[in-house]
Amino acid sequence: MPRTFLPVLISLLLARASFAAEPIRFDVDVRPLFAAHCVKCHGPARQEGGLRFDLRSAALRGGDGGPLFVPGKPAESELLRRVASADETERMPPEGERLSANEIDVLRRWIEMGAEWPESEADRGATRDPRLDHWVWKPIARPSAPAVVGAVGLRNEIDHFIAAKLVEKQLTMSPEADALTLIRRLSFDLIGLPPTPEEAAAFVSHDNGSATLPLSPTLAAKASESAYEALVDRLLASPRYGERWARHWLDVVHYGDTHGYDKDKPRPNAWPYRDYVIRAFNDDKPYARFVQEQVAGDVLFPYTRDGNEALGFIAAGPWDFIGHAEVPETKIDGKIARHLDRDDMVGNTLGTFCSVTVQCAQCHNHKFDPITQEDYYSLQAVYAALDRAERQYFADADAMRCFEKLQQEGHELFTRQAAIEAGLRAKIGAPAEALDRRIAAARKVMPGNSRAEFGYHSAVAVTENATKWVQVDLGRSVVIDRIVLRPCYDDFNDIGAGFGFPRRFRVELSNDPEFRGDRTLVVSREESDLPNPGTAAQTWSANGATARYVRVTAVKLAPRKNDFIFALSELQVFDAVGQNAAESGTVTALDSIEAPPRWRKANLVDKINPPDGTGDELTRLRAERDALFDAASDEAMRRERREIRQARDRVAEELKHLQSPDIVYAGTVHRGTGNFAGTSGKPRPIHILARGSVQQPGREVGPGAIAAIEVLASRFALPTDHTEGERRGALARWLTDPKNPLTWRSIVNRVWQYHFGRGLVETADDFGRMGAAPSHAELLDWLAADFRDSGGSLKRLHKQIVMSATYRQASSSAAGEMRQAALDVDADNRLLWRQNRRKLEAEAIHDAVLAVSGKLDLKMGGPGYQDFVIEHPAHSPHYQYDLADPNDAKTWRRAVYRFVARSQTQPWMSSLDCADPSMRVDKRNESASPLQALALLNDGFMIVQSAHYSERVAREAGDDAERQAMRAMQLAVGRDPTDDERRALSVFIGRYGLASGCRAILNLNEFTFVD
Amino acid sequence: MNNISRSNDVPNRRDFLWQAGGGLGGLALTAMLARDGELTAAVPIDAGLKTHPAQIYPPKAKYVIQMFMAGAASHLDLFDFKPELVKRHGQPSDFGEPVEAFQNGLGPWLKPIWDFKPYGDCGKMLSDVVAPLGDVVDEMAFVHNVVGKTGIHSQATLLQATGFQLPGFPGAGSWVSYGLGSLNDNLPTFVVLPDHRGLASNGVKNWGSSFLPSQHAGTVIYPGSATPIASLFPHRAATYLDPEGDAATQILLANLNARHAATRSDDPRLNARIRSYELAARMQTAAPEALAFADEPAHVLKLYGLDRGPQTWSKEINAEEETFHFSQKCLTARRMIERGVRFVQIWSGNDNGFPRRNWDSHEDVARDHGPLATGMARGAAALIQDLKQRGLLDETLILWTTEFGRMPSSQGGKGRDHNPYVFTNWLCGGRVRGGTTYGPSDEWGYKPLDRSRPTLVYDLHATALRLLGLEHTQLTWRHNGIDRRLTDVHGRVIEELIA
Repeated sequence: MPRTFLPVLISLLLARASFAAEPIRFDVDVRPLFAAHCVKCHGPARQEGGLRFDLRSAALRGGDGGPLFVPGKPAESELLRRVASADETERMPPEGERLSANEIDVLRRWIEMGAEWPESEADRGATRDPRLDHWVWKPIARPSAPAVVGAVGLRNEIDHFIAAKLVEKQLTMSPEADALTLIRRLSFDLIGLPPTPEEAAAFVSHDNGSATLPLSPTLAAKASESAYEALVDRLLASPRYGERWARHWLDVVHYGDTHGYDKDKPRPNAWPYRDYVIRAFNDDKPYARFVQEQVAGDVLFPYTRDGNEALGFIAAGPWDFIGHAEVPETKIDGKIARHLDRDDMVGNTLGTFCSVTVQCAQCHNHKFDPITQEDYYSLQAVYAALDRAERQYFADADAMRCFEKLQQEGHELFTRQAAIEAGLRAKIGAPAEALDRRIAAARKVMPGNSRAEFGYHSAVAVTENATKWVQVDLGRSVVIDRIVLRPCYDDFNDIGAGFGFPRRFRVELSNDPEFRGDRTLVVSREESDLPNPGTAAQTWSANGATARYVRVTAVKLAPRKNDFIFALSELQVFDAVGQNAAESGTVTALDSIEAPPRWRKANLVDKINPPDGTGDELTRLRAERDALFDAASDEAMRRERREIRQARDRVAEELKHLQSPDIVYAGTVHRGTGNFAGTSGKPRPIHILARGSVQQPGREVGPGAIAAIEVLASRFALPTDHTEGERRGALARWLTDPKNPLTWRSIVNRVWQYHFGRGLVETADDFGRMGAAPSHAELLDWLAADFRDSGGSLKRLHKQIVMSATYRQASSSAAGEMRQAALDVDADNRLLWRQNRRKLEAEAIHDAVLAVSGKLDLKMGGPGYQDFVIEHPAHSPHYQYDLADPNDAKTWRRAVYRFVARSQTQPWMSSLDCADPSMRVDKRNESASPLQALALLNDGFMIVQSAHYSERVAREAGDDAERQAMRAMQLAVGRDPTDDERRALSVFIGRYGLASGCRAILNLNEFTFVD
Repeated sequence: MNNISRSNDVPNRRDFLWQAGGGLGGLALTAMLARDGELTAAVPIDAGLKTHPAQIYPPKAKYVIQMFMAGAASHLDLFDFKPELVKRHGQPSDFGEPVEAFQNGLGPWLKPIWDFKPYGDCGKMLSDVVAPLGDVVDEMAFVHNVVGKTGIHSQATLLQATGFQLPGFPGAGSWVSYGLGSLNDNLPTFVVLPDHRGLASNGVKNWGSSFLPSQHAGTVIYPGSATPIASLFPHRAATYLDPEGDAATQILLANLNARHAATRSDDPRLNARIRSYELAARMQTAAPEALAFADEPAHVLKLYGLDRGPQTWSKEINAEEETFHFSQKCLTARRMIERGVRFVQIWSGNDNGFPRRNWDSHEDVARDHGPLATGMARGAAALIQDLKQRGLLDETLILWTTEFGRMPSSQGGKGRDHNPYVFTNWLCGGRVRGGTTYGPSDEWGYKPLDRSRPTLVYDLHATALRLLGLEHTQLTWRHNGIDRRLTDVHGRVIEELIA
């Protein structure tokens, strides 16, 4: 028990104090101690526990566990306690030599004398974290495009930045790619689909009207400038553009249509967010607005469709269903689940919009970047009131307006009424306050279950006219005064109150457990259907009958979904003195679903039932208060209150008659019951967690962001009574502030990456010190500033990039001196002396196969297509891809509309390095494995589409194998085959069939790679 | 991916291919490829298939077989004998401190469902339900003080399988594949044999490659099903294809792709992709051969309890059926190891659906654990004996794990609630010190006896990597600014377990 020595030790130290009275000089006596023993772990490089001993302001503030010392009070100073501790797990420093008794005494006296810490040069020097000098924390510069001497063929500013760097290495750009290559490159890049042979021919022949095939690369030397620009404009205006680029975005935000984790239940309403992203790209929504809507659309753009659907961003990632639905927030596992849930929201937000890795600061201050634990938990505080849940809104503009109008009207009426009543309250005083308190108490008794034990539940019947019974053995014969039945509450199928309460039933008493012979009928309701009683208790007098057994027999069951049941929450049997004799009873039944804790026979007498749902008490109290108000009012006030009340009733009625709202799975305030109760909008308190452990909460923090961006306020100054939405609004504004150096660089770098296969910063999700340095820092800043200052148009940015000579370069230039020189100094093409050859992503291959086979269904939006069969949907769905029919035309849509399951990823797509929806993906992996080859050769999708492709070729080219080979190649790779290729293919087709030939073509390297 | 339901299909061409070890297509292609001088020069697919510089120790083991009991197997009823529970059976449980249990299952103390007896020279007490392991107990090392972080199935499964509680991290087998590289071009480096009924919590996330290159992802194989490996042969809709045409397709592709690559010679990805098609063709021959038991002698099949072959099983969970399926996976694992597969993961139990077909025995330990443990013990014991008699046991590390343990108290009946506070793992082979018991749990099997020195999954992973010659702190991959490891920022090699 080493800890018990501690007070002794401290008092010994205190005793010594009276003998030594020399003054302590901080810089001479104390600072060297800190430097020798503490600063290694609590200094500029590391701030264990959020502490720094090298910096006055930080040391005075203390660490995550509170203040370090209390001036004048050594006994209350954590610093002294820790250095003197006899407990090895507590003592500081944890390793190396411990402080000598003398040194401890110096510290004690220093604190005792007031812990003077004069600010010195050292403090001022330490104020600035050297990590802030990293490029990404500096403001975005707006450099002008450098002049480049001797470079030719430069088309816009981008080229100047690129050429300037090349000139430094005595390199030049590669020549422009040929026209056929350019149209294929642009098409895949901008819309994710290959050009049709006819489009290619028109482009090559500089003629949009009457182009003719063939498509010989040698004939297609150069694209005309006007045709090129027209093509760019056409592709950017195509709805296919949004579908292509939304998929990139969905990778980054790790969108999925199921929860993941255990059970992996579907999210049937995730897709409105996916459609929102597609629409935002197609509409060229200004980027700042795009960001703001996804973080706080409901706050900053209330009542808009986009402002609601965009919130799907916050909920895009996985959700631990069991950790929320089966474990309450009061348990450690429940706390962990919710902590990890917010961690995902925070990581998604800062990673996506700012390209920094804040999640490192969950357990300790970020090791490499100037991001503190306080920053991280301040970001968690922004989302502290949210959960992932379904959110209602109106996509239809008229309904939305109507809804908005009624909401507004209701709000105004409420405000008027509140103002009048506030005056009345002031006038009445104490009696009104007392009533308010009673009403508040009554309101806390909400319908539904406060406990997990719902009640007794019969087996399910397929017909409602089945008879089922449940009975209680009271253990002895009892004189019974009255019987009370309490109905259940279960949200199943939206039934809620009165769940399972029989339509017709009777209650009987007997002394025979089999109810043979002698029995007393207490009540019989067997003649006509009873309305659902809600959760109101049902009471009948038994007139002092004596019995040991009480039986409830349902003769017409309650409907559930497509079946019928009998359920009861509680059976109470009150004796003459008002004791419930059933409390210790034994329950038997004809049949029962035993699914504890919710359902089991024993629950019928467990004293747990939903509160009496009549609401009588609340109604009575409200009437009483109304009367009180009326009595204190004059006639005009009484009339006004009456009118307001009528108007509010009308508004409520009209709201009820609005069409049923739309639903999006979003980050939203959740108002639930049971374990997954949500917050109803009141942010959960967020503490700095030592080592990220929910069992070690430290100081509580408010909403904020990263303090390292010094030009922006990082702790949001919100009024004390602010709403949770204001927190998100503040973060959205912080993210999109023109002075935020992260956001604008992040997005232009991402766009650049998808055009060149590699970002100017190669680590698109990490601009920190562990990430890569920008290859062209000035170009990055120029693009970021230009993008920001011109309104944040992504289409404008695309056009800037693809119109550049840099973009249009050939990917494999002709042999020559320059090429060899370039390979020698820049083999991996960081300087962009040529374009990069691109390997198509899983979605692009999928869509291209369908485009080539002629089966691509261009229907936009709505629920995702399911290329699997769900087995065991009720409990843990199995997504069985191998059971789906690849010839189901419903699955032939663009892959962005695929229903994305997390636990069972689509095997064909996964083998092609499709993004894993469980993690944020800033850049797809690129692999070549035998399993990928097998997937492209043998998967049902490829087998079936090869057949469709061959039918199309036969239709368009006739029976001749050579002409078939010609057409098949035009469709798939956008060019005529060479003579050798045509011969080889036609021989193959002649021998093994056209479908086999088409399957082979879809497996060509040239189909998967774009020059 | 329950393919069993379709095993009654009329045998088709694909079945023929499986039974004939790749059939004409594979054989013909191999011959043709061998004749084609242009294609015999091997092009490496990826530099990642070499041994990682983190292999700084002389490797003791080369292969790993991990057995994963989904749903959380009870240490108390299988391996960790607690006489105190026998003594106090039925008395109200008292843990001496407040306990948070997943379903608040803190009923009376519940004694082990089966009796325990001593086995082997080491005298280790084992439950009757795992008695077959008694024959090999002197090869096994038990760790009774493994501690988890949560009682939630999904997070706990991820933690044991990937070292992290969140989805999105590579499986242990992916790290081993990345660290050791391939010994065999014809088969994947990391093979997963799921429960035949389906996948456990998190599905394929437990063995995904995540940020590691995708060739390190676990390849799912369902031994004995109609389609053991997805897409190994053309989908059933391929009525227009025959094996000869399939083989000819490979030749055509090789030729056309070579022409395409010739004018783009500085792009290694093109040749890598050409090579991947060649490897795919080889896998079509190698995989069916590896999965067929036809060449296994009768005494080996008998050892595993596979001599009666597949049968029609009862609808209720039963020991015979469990034995057949688990043993089938064990024998498959041995055949994979023999062919150079680095890491084989065997799963017992699927997700938490109903009726219960995993180890999550909240209601009735005997009902679920009985058949599952009987099958597991028979298959695992046979595998250990089989590896030993072939001289492979020293090179093959077997790791037995689960999500967490179960409570020493009942839930009021015959079941036990989750116990993330302590559970058992065991290791075997791979130069693990056999016949040892390390890190005891307390008298109830509720928490470690020494709470200040528990064993964490990081320690077990670090130890496994050490046996493979890998330094766990050096086997890293830079992702989003962090040098990620299987062991996160933790991990201590348990020297006591190493012979």
